[in-house]
Amino acid sequence: MNFAEHFVEADGFRIRYLEAGQGEPLIWFHGGGGLQLNRLHALLAEKRRVIAFEAPGFGVSPVNERTRSMEELAGTMGAAIAALGIERYAVMGISFGGKLALWTAILNPERVAAAVLLAPAAIRPQNTRPPMDPAQLRAMLYAHPERVPPMPAPDPEQMKKSMGFAMRVIGPDRDTAFEARFGTAKMPILVVLGTADRLIPPEMGRFYRQLLPNCHVLMVYDAAHAVDVERPEAVFAAVDDFLKRQDKFIVRAGQSALFP
Amino acid sequence: MKAALFSAVPYGGQASEGWPVPADLYADETAQRSYSAAIERFRLADETGWDWVTVAEHHYSPFSLTPNPMLLAGALTQVVRRARIAVLGPTVPMLNPVRVAEEFAMLDVMSGGRIVAGLMRGTPNEYVTYNVNPQESRERFQEALQLIRKAWTEPQPFGWQGRHYEFRSLSIWPRPVQKPHPPLYMSGSSPESGQYAGENHIGIGFAVTTLPLATKAIGVYRAAARGAGWEPTPDDIIYRCGLHIADSDEKANNDLTSGPPRGRFSISNPALESAVAGTSYYGRDFEAQRNRVARLPTIKDAVDNGQVLFGGPNSVFQQILKIRDLIGAGILDLVLITQDDDKARRAVELFAGKVLPRLREME
Repeated sequence: MNFAEHFVEADGFRIRYLEAGQGEPLIWFHGGGGLQLNRLHALLAEKRRVIAFEAPGFGVSPVNERTRSMEELAGTMGAAIAALGIERYAVMGISFGGKLALWTAILNPERVAAAVLLAPAAIRPQNTRPPMDPAQLRAMLYAHPERVPPMPAPDPEQMKKSMGFAMRVIGPDRDTAFEARFGTAKMPILVVLGTADRLIPPEMGRFYRQLLPNCHVLMVYDAAHAVDVERPEAVFAAVDDFLKRQDKFIVRAGQSALFP
Repeated sequence: MKAALFSAVPYGGQASEGWPVPADLYADETAQRSYSAAIERFRLADETGWDWVTVAEHHYSPFSLTPNPMLLAGALTQVVRRARIAVLGPTVPMLNPVRVAEEFAMLDVMSGGRIVAGLMRGTPNEYVTYNVNPQESRERFQEALQLIRKAWTEPQPFGWQGRHYEFRSLSIWPRPVQKPHPPLYMSGSSPESGQYAGENHIGIGFAVTTLPLATKAIGVYRAAARGAGWEPTPDDIIYRCGLHIADSDEKANNDLTSGPPRGRFSISNPALESAVAGTSYYGRDFEAQRNRVARLPTIKDAVDNGQVLFGGPNSVFQQILKIRDLIGAGILDLVLITQDDDKARRAVELFAGKVLPRLREME
């Protein structure tokens, strides 16, 4: 699956995005490390139109000193989606992008059909910060670092810019003003957590379940924070089913007979 | 130290050989009597002061009439009033792990928080029972264990996207009485198991083993625990072996003239045994693991190797000291090797009267 690079003008920013696939639109928001596509995106794009944004302040975009909060960033991303002429969509993100996706759902309840939050950074244990040292970061991202092929080292300047921006706007571990608005996100929301994630431990799932009116929590066994990279097929199977059937995805469908 | 009385609830009559064992000689009355005898023995152990009573899962054989040990443990919650009830354990890779979590929680509530949860992989033959691939046994076990722990402790409904198990929404009722969950043990006979138990802060149990093998395995466990930042206590280590105790060494010798009886599992079916061994079931300590199952020792060898405690109270106590010193086990899980009801009853009472008090003093 080939993703094509595009740019869209919105809210005074020139925003880069990668797109592939056809069908129902699915918006993807990357994590604090920036936009990197993997096998999960390829699988998703076989079934639907995937638009993966690079938020202003990350990657090739210039330093973003204007955006002050996740809410503002979600406003900008909502404008970018509207500028593409997309009226109704599902939104999905990981970590930093998971919080951004939830903000987007809260700000656009009539447009967001469903949301999928992977290891979302919207609710975090006290004082957990991703390590800056690449080896430590790798050990934090993967339950099985030895199984994940080494990735090209990110440009240190770009990394510094992106992480600096992410840390500036991410908000507190428990953002009470934000959480007070969770009740307005009535669309089906799937929260996906890796059982071996030490950055956003699986125990965080229970808060979403309590605060969001229509939330399902899914634990992905034997994956750490980069749940999309470590277990793309497992994440895809559940997410695809959820996006297709939403709440009904808890009921098993299809054939299971061995020899029908 | 603590002592547990283990019974696989053997069928107390004649049966054919092999595995699976045909039911051609099976008699209803004998089976019913076997359950009654086992339950009665557990009740006696409870009354005489044993710390735990233990049940386990085995299939298709007169060696054990507890294909579902949870059912027997359920009955025991109403008979055994004081002692802990240890299920060591369900053979997890063959079962629905959510069901295992639910059943343990039920038992914990019904017993007022006296359940001990052992999660086992089972002997190789069990993999035929429910047609589960023994090659995937270890992976299934580890995943099921993590899922069971989450099912016990997670207060909100959640789904599970595993490698071997998939559930979209689970939230078990009732909840275990013991917090965060009942004491958890797994078998530690192989280096892989010892490593995993140490890394994951799980108690360890040795069965069908010898002191030299267990000494080696306990080293792996302790090193892994240290690596994970904790130090196992005696209560984390269960050592299972046979027991025959009589009023004196001489009486014990007169009771038993032959070696301890063997179960009829994989070793009764060489084709099955070698088929399972052909998968990675036994792990990297392959030969040693197979030999420990296959050996048929004399009683003297069995005592020397720590497979059986045998003799009068003082001899049995000295043999226990050796196990404690080498393994650091704090819980002995003892299976009576006599088939005779009266001698078995006497053994339960004698151990409680003459050995248990000395074990208590050691604490």
